[in-house]
Amino acid sequence: MNAVRKGLSWPMAGRYLNPYVAGTLLGLVLFATFALTGHGLGASGGMSRVIAAVQGQLAPEHVVHNPELAKSIGGGGHPLNHWLVWMILGVALGGLTSGAISRRLKLETRAGPRLSPQARWTFALLGGVLVGFGARLARGCTSGQALSGGAVLSVGSWAFMLAVFAGGYAVAYFVRRLWN
Amino acid sequence: MQTLFPLDLPALIGVAGNVAVVVALGFGFGFALEQAGFGDSRKLAAQFYFRDMTVFKVMFTAILVAAVLIMLTSALQLMDYERLWVNPTYLWPGILGGLILGSGFITGGF
Repeated sequence: MNAVRKGLSWPMAGRYLNPYVAGTLLGLVLFATFALTGHGLGASGGMSRVIAAVQGQLAPEHVVHNPELAKSIGGGGHPLNHWLVWMILGVALGGLTSGAISRRLKLETRAGPRLSPQARWTFALLGGVLVGFGARLARGCTSGQALSGGAVLSVGSWAFMLAVFAGGYAVAYFVRRLWN
Repeated sequence: MQTLFPLDLPALIGVAGNVAVVVALGFGFGFALEQAGFGDSRKLAAQFYFRDMTVFKVMFTAILVAAVLIMLTSALQLMDYERLWVNPTYLWPGILGGLILGSGFITGGF
């Protein structure tokens, strides 16, 4: 634990960044994205492109005849050659790097003290299904709608963002055993 | 008068250059989030029990910083707001989708 590390180490290793500092950093990345590309950040759209591309391999007729799925891999060229897909690749690499240099990389299951790992995984899967469904219904998630749409003052994005927090707080009481 | 920003990256640095820039921006995105602690589902869930306001602070600071910079650069004629992608509003799908996503957020932790 007290081993001396030679060379460079990340000064924030073992601690999280002040949320206002992290928020500012994120805001600068968000602004840079708009300035450099004309669009904002995104995530769920990238996921749906990857999934639709896989579906396109397995059941091409289904994808072609479903307007949303067809649009998910549309735009000409290879379905995965779209900024949303490249972006989530970057996000994964960035998160991984941050965790690695902060010495937070660990295979673990984070859950409330009264919950077994298996129960946690079950609820994680259920939660994931809801998040994925909700994101595509709203045509975006916290990245594409809340952060990006929020920054350019899209009314629908702000409505979405408020609904996310409302939904979270409303359900929190009923799932309190998961976390407390 | 055409403003400098937003750039047309594929025209300036080619398709491959555009990919590199997008990956780099995504990298910054993921890096900032993990540094804030968004990799920890317990920390994220704590927001909804009023124990840890990190999610609020990070999200709204980010939106504020970006929005102010967008408005400032637009006012200085450096950025053309009209050329920025603004999410079209689909009000009820957005509200319903948000409620569902929020429910999933506190259930799954992410």
